[in-house]
Amino acid sequence: MRNSTPKDIGSINFGLMEPEEYREMSATKIITADTYDDDGFPIDMGLMDPRLGVIDPGLECKTCGKHSGSCNGHFGHIELAAPVIHVGFTKLIRRLLRGTCRECSRLLLTEDEKEEFHGQIDEAQKLGRDLNDVTKAAIRQARKKDRCPHCGEVQYDIDHEKPTTYYEVQQVLTSEYSQRIAGAMQGQDEDAERMSPDELAAETEIDLSRINEILSGSFRPRESQRKAIEKALDIDLTEEDTNKLMPSDIRDWFEAIPDEDIEVLGIDPDRSRPEWMILTVLPVPPVTARPSITLDNGQRSEDDLTHKLVDIIRINQRFMENREAGAPQLIIEDLWELLQYHVTTFMDNEISGTPPARHRSGRPLKTLSQRLKGKEGRFRGSLSGKRVNFSARTVISPDPTLSLNEVGVPDRVAKEMTQTMNVTERNVEKARRFVSNGPEGHPGANYVRRPDGRRLKVTEKNCEQLAEKVKPGWEVNRHLIDGDIVIFNRQPSLHRMSIMAHEVVVMPYKTFRLNTVVCPPYNADFDGDEMNMHALQNEEARAEARVLMRVQEQILSPRFGENIIGAIQDHISGTFLLTHNNPRFNETQALDLLRATRIDELPEPSGVDDQGEPFWTGYDVFSELLPDDLNLEFTGTVGEKVAIEDGQLIEGTIAEDEVGEFGGEIVDTITKIHGKTRARVFINEVASLAMRSIMHFGFSIGIDDETIPEEAQARIDETIDDAYDRVEELIEAYERGELESLPGRTVDETLEMKIMQTLSRARDNAGNIADEHFTEENPAVVMAESGARGSMLNLTQMAGCVGQQAVRGERINRGYENRTLSHYKENDLSAEAHGFVENSYTSGLTPREFFFHAMGGREGLVDTAVRTSKSGYLQRRLINALSELETQYDGTVRDTSDTIVQFEFGEDGTSPVKVSSGEDNEIDVEHIADRVLDSEFDSEQDKQEFLGRRPRPTNLSEHADDRLSIESTEVSSDD
Amino acid sequence: MVDVSQHELVPEHTVLEEETLEEVLTEYDIDRTDLPKIKRNDPALPDDAAVGNVIKIVRDSRTTDQAVVYRLVVE
Ligand SMILES: [Mg+2]
Ligand SMILES: [Zn+2]
Ligand SMILES: [Zn+2]
Repeated sequence: MRNSTPKDIGSINFGLMEPEEYREMSATKIITADTYDDDGFPIDMGLMDPRLGVIDPGLECKTCGKHSGSCNGHFGHIELAAPVIHVGFTKLIRRLLRGTCRECSRLLLTEDEKEEFHGQIDEAQKLGRDLNDVTKAAIRQARKKDRCPHCGEVQYDIDHEKPTTYYEVQQVLTSEYSQRIAGAMQGQDEDAERMSPDELAAETEIDLSRINEILSGSFRPRESQRKAIEKALDIDLTEEDTNKLMPSDIRDWFEAIPDEDIEVLGIDPDRSRPEWMILTVLPVPPVTARPSITLDNGQRSEDDLTHKLVDIIRINQRFMENREAGAPQLIIEDLWELLQYHVTTFMDNEISGTPPARHRSGRPLKTLSQRLKGKEGRFRGSLSGKRVNFSARTVISPDPTLSLNEVGVPDRVAKEMTQTMNVTERNVEKARRFVSNGPEGHPGANYVRRPDGRRLKVTEKNCEQLAEKVKPGWEVNRHLIDGDIVIFNRQPSLHRMSIMAHEVVVMPYKTFRLNTVVCPPYNADFDGDEMNMHALQNEEARAEARVLMRVQEQILSPRFGENIIGAIQDHISGTFLLTHNNPRFNETQALDLLRATRIDELPEPSGVDDQGEPFWTGYDVFSELLPDDLNLEFTGTVGEKVAIEDGQLIEGTIAEDEVGEFGGEIVDTITKIHGKTRARVFINEVASLAMRSIMHFGFSIGIDDETIPEEAQARIDETIDDAYDRVEELIEAYERGELESLPGRTVDETLEMKIMQTLSRARDNAGNIADEHFTEENPAVVMAESGARGSMLNLTQMAGCVGQQAVRGERINRGYENRTLSHYKENDLSAEAHGFVENSYTSGLTPREFFFHAMGGREGLVDTAVRTSKSGYLQRRLINALSELETQYDGTVRDTSDTIVQFEFGEDGTSPVKVSSGEDNEIDVEHIADRVLDSEFDSEQDKQEFLGRRPRPTNLSEHADDRLSIESTEVSSDD
Repeated sequence: MVDVSQHELVPEHTVLEEETLEEVLTEYDIDRTDLPKIKRNDPALPDDAAVGNVIKIVRDSRTTDQAVVYRLVVE
C-alpha cells in the first residue's frame, strides 16, 4: 500500500446504469451455472471464469494480467431470458406507472402544471429542501386525471402487490348485471320501493325495450346507461378487473416516456432512463467480491452470492429452453416469476412478504443488501467503524499513586504495542539498546526497518546482532515506555472526556491502572469495567493528543464550564476530617500527611500545646497545597463561610463544594487563574493528602453506626403508630363520605394524597428522632455532610424507617383483585396493605415489606434500562445530525453545503471553558492580567518591554517538568 | 386576535433593506438561499415581509447582550 498515490474524488454521480453499459464493462458473458470442472479448474464462461479476477495466489488474471491482491476483479454479465424488475426501484416504478399515460406514456400533466412543478423543483433545490415532496405532489396531481390530457385515453388505477407485481385495475360491468338490476327493482330490502321497468325507463331515459333487453341479459348496458341505472336504483353494477402488467409491458411503457416529462419528476434523463429500472442484463460481481473458501477436507465452499447466481443462471436457462420448445403460457409465467424471485433475493433477501432464499442448512442467504445494511454492514461495520491495530483492552483498577495524567499499562501490553523510532545520530545508542533487549525484555523492540524498506523481526536469537547493525536512517519499533502518550477510552463514549490522552507508566500485572479522580469523566468504576487504549503512530497524532487531549486539558467541562475532575468519595471525607473543627497535628503527623505531596518542609507552627510541643492545624496542612496568591471567599458545603487569603485557609471546611468533581470552587478557581498544570498538581495533591488524612483518622462504617438506643426506637414506634391512627381516621372519614376533596381531585385521589402525606411525615419524624442520636463523628453523617457519598435520607432509612414504597408515583396498588397480597382483606386501604415499610434497614424488613420494597426497586431498575437504550438511540441520531456542522474561521457555524446554522458560534462566539461561570457571570479580566504581569516581572521596565507577546511555556510532560519547581510555573496562566 | 409580534418574548423582526442585505451576504460570502429560513406565515413576521425578503432578528442574549440572526422568508 506504500506506493499507492493519493487520489482526489472530484465528484460522484448517482444514476441508473444502461444495459449496454453493463455489457461494455463486462469481462465475459456467463452462460453456465457450473463453477469448476472435475480437475478443479474454473469453467470458461462459468461463475468462476478467470476473466472475472483471481483469488488464488500465484494465478494470473486473464483480463488485466495482475496477480491476486493487485487485481480488484472484473464484472461479468448474464443475459436475462426475460426482463425482470429491480427490487430497489419498486416504489419509483409504481409512481411512474400511476403518473404516466397507459397509451402514449406521457406524464398526465398539462403543460402549465409541468411548468409549475419544474419551477418548484428548481426552488426546492436552491433552498435545500427535499425534492421528494415536490415529485410526490406532481404524481398526486397526475393521478387525479381520469383521462390523458395528451391523447385522451382513459386511465386506470395501478395496484402494487409487493414486492414486484403490478396490476391495472379497471371497473367493468359485472356479468350478473341483469340479476342485480332485477333484484333491486323488486325491492329486496324491506323498505325499498319496488320499481317497474316503465318507471326505470322513465327515470334513466332509456328505451323500455332496451331496459327489457338488459333485464333479460341479452344486451350489455353501455357505460352511460350503466351509470344512469346505478343512480336510479342506488346499486353498484361493476366489479374489479385486474390485469397483470408483465415486466416487458412495463419496460415498453417506460421506453416511450419522453425525456422532458421525467425531468418534472426530478429524474435526470441523461443519466437515468426509467426503463433501466427493468433489468434485461444482470451484472455478475467479480469473484473477488464473492471468494470461495477451501475447507479443511479440501472441498470448496462457495459464497452466498455465488449460490444465488447459480440459481439465477439455472432458471434463466430453463426459461429459454421452455420458450424455445413453445411451452404453454402458464409454465412460462411461472418460470418468469421464479426468475424474478431469484433476481429479487439476489439483491435483497429480507423483503417482507417474500420467503427468504435459504442455504441447504436452512440459514437465510446473505445477499447484496444484507452485506450493506445494519450495524455489522459495510457502512456502519466496515467503513465508519473499523478494527484497528495498536490497541489494547483490559479491566481497570485504581492506583492513587499515579498522577491524573497517567495510566498504568501492564508490561505485557507495553511489549506488544510499539512506537516507531526514527533512528538518528542522536538516538542511535538508545535505539540499539531497545533492539538488544529483544522482544521479550522491556523496554525492547519488535521490528526494525532498514533504509531499503525491508522489515526485520527482532527475535531473542538475533537481537544482539541486529542491534549492532542499527544505524541512523533505520526505523525501530520499540516497546511503550514511561512517558509515551496514548489514548484511553471507556464506552459508551458519550462526551469528549470519554476519550483522553494519558502518559504511560509501565507496571506489572494485567490491568490498566488509573487515578480515581478521572473516574467521573469516564464514568468508570472498578466493578469489572474494561477500557481501551490506543498507541499513537505518528508525531502529529502524538503532539495533538498531548496538547489537546491530555487529561489536564479536560479539567473544565464544555457542558457547564466548571471542573469535572476533582476530589471524589473518600478524598472528600478525608479533607472534611482534616479541616472540620480544624484539628491539631504534631510535626511527625503533619509531615506524614504531606508525605505524598511535593511539600517536604513545614511552615511555622501555629502554636505550642500544653506539653510545649509545637503543633500544626488542619488548615495549615491543607494550605500548603494552595497557590500562594489564592484569595477566595464563598459559602461552602456545610453552609459556613470558606475563606482563603493569600493561599492560606482561614475559615471553613473543605468538602465537596470546595474541591469536588462538579464545580468544586477551589479547583475551578485554580484551573482558571493558575492554569491547568497547577490545577493538575493541586488535584493530585489533594487526593494524596486526603488519603493520608483519612488513614490518620481512621474511617469505617458498621452496623453499630446505624443503631439507635431502645428509647429512641420506642419513640419512633410511637410516631408511626400515631401516623397509622391518623390514616385510620382518614379512611373512616372517607368511608363515611365525610372526606372533602381537594380542588381538582376526586375523593379517592384526595384520600391517597392525604395518606401519602401523613406517612411521609411519619418517616421524616422517625428520621429526625434517629438523627438526634447520631453525632458529627458518625461516618455516615460525615459522608452525607461532606457530600462524599449518601444523604441524610439514606441514613434515615437505615436507622429510622424505610417509608412508603411506590410504583409509578403511587402507593402499591397492584397484585390480586382489590388487594395487593392475599394476606390482606379486599379493599383494605391501610398503610401496611399498600407498601408502607415501617422498619428500618438495620432492624430488618418483614417478608411483606420486603416484597413491596422489591416492587419499588424493580421499577427503578426497569426505568434505568429503558432510559439508557432510549437515550443511546437519541444520542446516535443527534450526533449523526450534528457531525457535519463546523465552526468556520469567520465565526459562523455551517453545514457541509455552506448553509449557515448559527451566525456566531453559540450566539456569542465563546467557548464555555474559556469563560468564567461565576454567579454574576462576570470575569475580572483586568485583575487577572495585572496579577499575571506583576508576578512575571521584577521591574516595571521589564514589564513594559514585555507588553508584546511571549509564548507560553510548554509544559507538556509529567516527566519533563520538575515537580519541585512548580512554584516557578504557577503563574503562567494557560489562557 | 393576539398580535404575537408584540409579545415581550418575541424578538424584533425587521425586513432588511436590499443594500444592507448585499453587505451581509458579502460579509458571509453566501447566496441568500444559504441563510436560515422562516415561513411567510410565521406570526412573528412584520406585515410587509414578502417571500424572498431577508428578515433581521435581534435577540436579547445573556452573554452578548444582543445577538443578530438573518433569515430568508420562504413560501
Ligand atoms: Mg462498572
Ligand atoms: Zn484482473
Ligand atoms: Zn396519453
